[in-house]
Amino acid sequence: MNRNGSNGGSAARSLALYAAYVLLAVAILIYILAFFAGNTGIAINGGAINEERNSITIALSEEPPQLDSTRSTDAVSFVVLAHTMEGLIAYDQNDQLTPGAAERWEIRDDGATFWIREEATWSDGQPVTAHDFEFAWKRVLDPDTAAQYAFILYPIKNAEAVNQGDLPKEMLGVRAVTDLVLEVDFERPTPYFDKLVAFNTYFPLREDFFESTNGRYGADAAMLLSNGPYILTEWVHGASMVWEKNPYYWNSEKGLLDEIVTAYITNDANANLNLFKDGQIVQTGLTAPMLPTAMEQRWQIDRFMDGTLFFLEFNHREDRVTDNLNFRKALYFAQDPSELVYKVLKEASYLPAESLFPIWIQGLQGAFRKEYPLPKHSLDLEKAREYLDLARQELGLEDFPPIILLTGDSSLSLLAAEYYQELYKKNLGLELRIDAQIFKQRLAKMTSGDFDIVMAGWGPDYFDALTFGDLFASWNLNNRGRYQSEEMDNLVRTAQSELDPQKRMDAFGSIQELINSDVVIIPMYERGVSFVVDPRLKGFKRRSVGPQVDYNYAYIDSSQN
Amino acid sequence: MTNLTSTDFEPIRHAQEIQGISRPSLSYWRDAWIRLKANKRAVSSLFLVIGLLLFTIVGPIVWNVDPALQDLDQVGQPPGSGRLAVIVNEYEPWAGESEAIGTGLRLAENATTMAVRLKWDNLSSAVGYRIYRNIFPVGPERAYGIPLAEYFDNTVLYFEDRLDLKPRRYYYSVVPIDATGILLDGYQTITVDVLRVTTLAEVESQGLSAANINLEIGDSVNLALHPLGTDYLGRDMLARLMAGARVSLFIGIGAPCLFILFGIVYGSIAGFLGGRIDQIMMRFADFVVALPFLLFMILFKIAFGIGPGESGIFPMLVALVILMWPATARLVRGQILQIREQGYIGASRLLGAKTNYLILRHMLPNTLGVVLVTITFAIPGAIFIEAFLSFIGMGVAPPTPSWGSMSNEGIKNMLTSPHELILPAILISVTVLAFNLLGDGLRDALDARLRNQE
Repeated sequence: MNRNGSNGGSAARSLALYAAYVLLAVAILIYILAFFAGNTGIAINGGAINEERNSITIALSEEPPQLDSTRSTDAVSFVVLAHTMEGLIAYDQNDQLTPGAAERWEIRDDGATFWIREEATWSDGQPVTAHDFEFAWKRVLDPDTAAQYAFILYPIKNAEAVNQGDLPKEMLGVRAVTDLVLEVDFERPTPYFDKLVAFNTYFPLREDFFESTNGRYGADAAMLLSNGPYILTEWVHGASMVWEKNPYYWNSEKGLLDEIVTAYITNDANANLNLFKDGQIVQTGLTAPMLPTAMEQRWQIDRFMDGTLFFLEFNHREDRVTDNLNFRKALYFAQDPSELVYKVLKEASYLPAESLFPIWIQGLQGAFRKEYPLPKHSLDLEKAREYLDLARQELGLEDFPPIILLTGDSSLSLLAAEYYQELYKKNLGLELRIDAQIFKQRLAKMTSGDFDIVMAGWGPDYFDALTFGDLFASWNLNNRGRYQSEEMDNLVRTAQSELDPQKRMDAFGSIQELINSDVVIIPMYERGVSFVVDPRLKGFKRRSVGPQVDYNYAYIDSSQN
Repeated sequence: MTNLTSTDFEPIRHAQEIQGISRPSLSYWRDAWIRLKANKRAVSSLFLVIGLLLFTIVGPIVWNVDPALQDLDQVGQPPGSGRLAVIVNEYEPWAGESEAIGTGLRLAENATTMAVRLKWDNLSSAVGYRIYRNIFPVGPERAYGIPLAEYFDNTVLYFEDRLDLKPRRYYYSVVPIDATGILLDGYQTITVDVLRVTTLAEVESQGLSAANINLEIGDSVNLALHPLGTDYLGRDMLARLMAGARVSLFIGIGAPCLFILFGIVYGSIAGFLGGRIDQIMMRFADFVVALPFLLFMILFKIAFGIGPGESGIFPMLVALVILMWPATARLVRGQILQIREQGYIGASRLLGAKTNYLILRHMLPNTLGVVLVTITFAIPGAIFIEAFLSFIGMGVAPPTPSWGSMSNEGIKNMLTSPHELILPAILISVTVLAFNLLGDGLRDALDARLRNQE
């Protein structure tokens, strides 16, 4: 008995000892692994703001596919390029045009001239010249480049023909008169050309550097040449980036930080929130479910309307029921965007949409929507059912076939889709089928017309009503529902080339009315974003046109500690 | 010689029975049932399974609520929240006119869940105003809360809040801003208690009151009852859980029954025939095991021509049956191979039993125990696969719910309304656990070797 007891005791003791050894070994292993992990890639400097190094840490939502400004189309590439590159004209902190690489410019009816500043320098010390712009623009329009944003250069003479391959590149209406003077001829009068020039696709590109990369321009940190406030010095694909101050950059008001570390690439909103909470990144967006947390943390929440309009776009192709005007009207009167925004989406920074033209579009003196108001829309079920009966008679249908609602795969668009599904079932007895697709697939289906209604969004490319106004011209490739109307085409032509501002605005007013009376779309909401910024960071800017987030003017205010 | 008398030739009287069967003879199944009944875990899980079936089949008859119906006045309500509402007039757009007197930030009229209308006075320094709402007091750090709106126009001195108003206390602040949107000093704040309201039209359309009662503005009424709360679109959680159970259990019970039936037939043929045919058949089973499940799910969905917005449940069932049978087939084949060599089979064969008789009378019944256990373990597996596929969006199409898709939706609102995730997650866990415990109990009860160890 005694032996047994002592045996048991020593067994328990040695077992405890083993457990302690194992725990110790695991702990040591974790530290060793953490040490090696810390040494791989870019050492994460720990902390959103490092005052000693004058550096900040940020997160990007996705990895840019490549950073060739002539070919990039996505928002993340635009963000990076806005920090590493500079066009002829840029936007200042108040979204006003400000000289960029060009120190002055002149826009005439038939063309424009840009005088490039002498101080403008590439990140290898060579001067930026007019030839760099000429080369870049010709490359954008080269059919072999297949740049998706080529259309934004179409105001330049012969641009469309060059892009279609009908004319040689040499016929493009742009030429460097001297190293510092760039001359542009227009296809048609383009009074808003200064706003276009600030866009990414108009950024310069130096021929000798481009040739030296053997077609890998923009694929890596070493394959990039910058003329903006920052240089991309490290790019670990899929993981992180470092932007450092460009020593050759001319403007002392921009590029105030020595280093911006993109330590995280994630589009998980909750992950970003936790990083911000832990003081690892300087700013993050907040979705509706995160707002109680943000209030509890007593953060100073900020808001911003990002300028994008979301709408239900109908398929106007002839074989679809949505081609019927009365059917579209029925759908229009059976919904109320304010219910969608306030009760379903619950996003504090969203605004129920009323028109194709968002609230921030400028008219002649004040806001466009104040100068050209639309009648207030309200839910009217009786009217909706009347229109539906009319549509039923016109189409000769007993029952409507199931309507395919094409939508994105984000939780917010699925939420809206489920809301519409039940709304139209309850109010009109229609069956909606939700077709949720990833962005690329949705775009492919939109282009081929494989939908009845699509939930689409459109963000502005430049600060002019035309960025929304020409969307439903019959020749616009982004008119995915193939809406066709003689009247619309005439109005868009007027808006594009009319020089009298009053007449031009009137054309936009008529476009707005036509969209509304023809129910080309059902406006859903204007998107905004709620976000928090580290109080020590000043000068951070969100933009509706250009990069969504802009650190070009950002600096660290150490008095906030 | 001894004299023999007739008494010597009387038959011996039967001795008192020494050995006898004291209990009625027990069949295999009866014995198993007794042993199962003795297993408390197994019995309670059996009751759980029965309860679950009642929940799925009888539940929707008792709680007859459309699982797709959206009650947008009660979005994301946790179970057991208050639902007494006051009837008010229909909503009408408001352009800032008000008779409310006073100074500073003030309510233009009573705050309700329909709208909170605020007014304030102009400050000479302000270019515009920004309106905030908080669920906590503003405090010295000036955490104003959520910015609701921003006006770069100091003539706009009113604001109407309609964003997701709950019957609770809010702290509204108005902060003057300059032309670039920088916050200035001089903020004003107000505490607002919001009252839950509804309209007569809403009461009528939802049938919230008995027809013979005439309700008027100002009366109180109970909003629709949701015993387990509502989800992010105001749909009744109980009704959705019941509808979801139908999908989950259809896959969970239907698929295992079908693929196990196929597995038995396949396995017993292979095992009985043996030799080359057995080799070929089992290599084919190995081939099926190697097929990637998820890829085949996607392929089936396309092959079945399941269009957008249509339910993927049927291809899921087919895919499960086609891909999951080899495990059962192997098990049954192993059993048959073993039984084939047993003495009683040889004896039966010598007595002239035909193949059919051998298989049906001797072999299959002896594999049934194993098969029953496999089924009870396959059911939770299939339920889990359904939940997983619906979770990643390969299963049901909205608005049809399933427990997996409900969890997927619930996880997005985990922080604000946790019940949307917890309830379906609990049901998945309980169901899977119940079937597993039942299977465990059945295995113990049916295992002949354990019989005499008591």
